[in-house]
Amino acid sequence: MSKVRDGDIDKLGLLFARYKKPLYGFFYGMNKDSALAEDLVQNVFFRILKYRYLFRGDGDFRTWMFHIARNVSHDHFRKNKLRKKDSIDNWQDRLSSHEDRSTLYVEDEEKELLSLAMDRLPEDKKEILLLSKFQDKKYKEIGDILGCSEGAVKVKVFRALQELKEVYKKLEVRH
Amino acid sequence: MDKQRIEKLIETFNTGKASPAEIGELETLIEKSAVELSALSDLKVLQDRIFDAAVPEPTSRLDNQFLQLISSHKPEARINWKQMFSWPNLVPRFSLAAVTLIAGLAAGYYLRPATSADPQIDQLSQQVTDLKEMMMLTLLQKESATDRLKAVNLTQEMSAASEKVTGALLSTLNNDSNVNVRLAALDALKAYTNDSDVRQSLIQSIARQESPLVQIALAELMAALQEKSSVKEFEKILKDDKTPRDTKKRIEENIDVLI
Repeated sequence: MSKVRDGDIDKLGLLFARYKKPLYGFFYGMNKDSALAEDLVQNVFFRILKYRYLFRGDGDFRTWMFHIARNVSHDHFRKNKLRKKDSIDNWQDRLSSHEDRSTLYVEDEEKELLSLAMDRLPEDKKEILLLSKFQDKKYKEIGDILGCSEGAVKVKVFRALQELKEVYKKLEVRH
Repeated sequence: MDKQRIEKLIETFNTGKASPAEIGELETLIEKSAVELSALSDLKVLQDRIFDAAVPEPTSRLDNQFLQLISSHKPEARINWKQMFSWPNLVPRFSLAAVTLIAGLAAGYYLRPATSADPQIDQLSQQVTDLKEMMMLTLLQKESATDRLKAVNLTQEMSAASEKVTGALLSTLNNDSNVNVRLAALDALKAYTNDSDVRQSLIQSIARQESPLVQIALAELMAALQEKSSVKEFEKILKDDKTPRDTKKRIEENIDVLI
């Protein structure tokens, strides 16, 4: 990234090849829309290029990138307030279309339920779980992204997992 | 908090019987890293499943979009004239140009045609020319007009005639008894009219000619050469009563061209 910052734009291709999949996974996990997820990945790399001079080089690029990704995600949902409605309002819609998504994303019933349960979590809880997945449980780095301590991140993950467990159990009973 | 209490708290949570107060207590321990999330079995299983869930692959559309993004952000190649003509840039360029020039000169020097054969060829061609000259001069002395004509024709094969040859041709023009030979000599001398001496000799030859054919041929040549100084010589011929009328007429026509 330091080379990109110093003007070697071609080197961004290497970073793109390395991180496009986790970024795409993060955005797809957040909104379950593949075209939108691709657009948001593109938006992240656009911002990386635009603000490359802000990369100090003393931190982890992945953390910096996910920091941008989080901002991109928030900006998108802020601009599209309709989608930002309470997630409970969207449950019915998601349930009606989950079969299509599930064939793409999950294969067995357990994965399907987990995917649905994730969808029903509030945005912040879904985000913390996806960040812990794509940041390989590096809670300190996640703390840097969210602007809080490592311990606070662990508590957030704990609460998110607890809620996920509850939602999952409810879905399990219905099925 | 002692270790036993922590272990009991974890166990209570894992059995799903933890009260809100115990959960709050557990959160405090998690925040202080006294309890790891991996110790909470139910949550660990759930988190592991989130980790194991397959992530769909982005399509090639994303790659194409990225390439467009990169190409739009690349700085355009601009010519920096100042930098181009700075000494650090010019020195290697001049050096390369100089080396190339020297290499070219050296190659030209070593690859030039061998000159060792040239003197021999020049010598040989000179010998042939000398031989032709000698042959011509010899033939001109022959009594047979045919031989003398051959001699005159030989000069046409010579690339550059010597003064000796032109002198012999002029002599033939002035003195040969045969009109055809004199005409052939005049024809051969046309090739050397660039030489002012030859032109002067031709002018002087006008008055010496008695043959109307040679006189007319000379008049036409002088007209073609625009040699105005020859007019006086032609006027002498015109005044001569022996000159035939037709000849005078032709000469007058050529004088008109000259004047």
